[in-house]
Amino acid sequence: MILTALLLVIAQNPAQDPRYERLDPDTRGRVVAIVDSARAAGLPSEPLVHRALEGALKHATGERIVAAVRRLAGDLSTARDALGSKATPAELEAGVAALRAGATPAVLTRMRDVRRPPVTMALAVLADLVASGVPADSAAAALLVLAPTARDADLVEFRRAVERDIALGAPPAAATSGQLDVASVRVDANARNARPGKP
Amino acid sequence: MFEQDQEDIVERVIRELRRPASIDRALDARVMSEIARPPARPVTRRPFARIWPWLAAAALLAAAVIARPWSRDTRADAFQFVLIAPQAASVALVGDFNDWDPARAPMHAARDGVWATVIPLAPGRYRYAFLVDGVEWRADPGAPAARDDEFGTPSSVVTVGGRGT
Repeated sequence: MILTALLLVIAQNPAQDPRYERLDPDTRGRVVAIVDSARAAGLPSEPLVHRALEGALKHATGERIVAAVRRLAGDLSTARDALGSKATPAELEAGVAALRAGATPAVLTRMRDVRRPPVTMALAVLADLVASGVPADSAAAALLVLAPTARDADLVEFRRAVERDIALGAPPAAATSGQLDVASVRVDANARNARPGKP
Repeated sequence: MFEQDQEDIVERVIRELRRPASIDRALDARVMSEIARPPARPVTRRPFARIWPWLAAAALLAAAVIARPWSRDTRADAFQFVLIAPQAASVALVGDFNDWDPARAPMHAARDGVWATVIPLAPGRYRYAFLVDGVEWRADPGAPAARDDEFGTPSSVVTVGGRGT
């Protein structure tokens, strides 16, 4: 009951969130303003708070923390525009990761259109592949091929296989292309098995 | 003689019938009151009347079990995080899932410098890192790197999927 009351107080007045005490007063005020503005725009606030707390723990300067939070708020807004107002906070965060990896907003929109929600894993794998050295265009193209029918587990397996080939010396684009063929066959087989009676 | 007996009996019956009967004075009023009362509603048997609430409750329970609104994108799966750090005196796992608070996720040392902890994660994408001895930042060598680290230290990401397709 006390916890519920505390959460209600924090929800009504985010500035009283005790987590903000880890920020210096000036940084706290600027971060709270950004978070309040984002919340008013219908964006999730927790990713912004987490980014500020990460900066505080890593002893980043106030300027750097505020810049990181402001940039994240802008990217969340772009991701929301691309994924639609029904996108979950998790999807928006994955969308931000994909955007920062080099995917265009149009790729996010296309992903939303071809895949049954949530699209969190598809966008996250796209970002992870780029982090592994795969060109953003190749990663986006591969994920858009797999997205309509692949399960989340298939996408994770695809990412691991590509990373394994890269670690063994394959050029990232070639590793992606090669593993895409393998994954497509497996995904198609899974899809057929999921529909008894189909050839 | 037999005829005489019969006549006596008949005579006694006649006398008895002619005797004025004593009737309760309120009887008339009670009779008229009963006549004036509207007829009671006939009792009909409704076989589902008693089980209807149970059927409704069962339907609601079945709908809740099928829809599982409590688990939509919110269920948490346990994830194990491991770091090999033989020289470390302490290791903490910090990330978006614990508000980057080292006190909330200290890792436990097993044999040969293997540090591990298990935490529940709901679907989502989380940034995290290991904090060794309170000063040294390390990314998870077994997880994708966070590409957008704006604070100059390595971090990793873990993505927990929702429903597959």
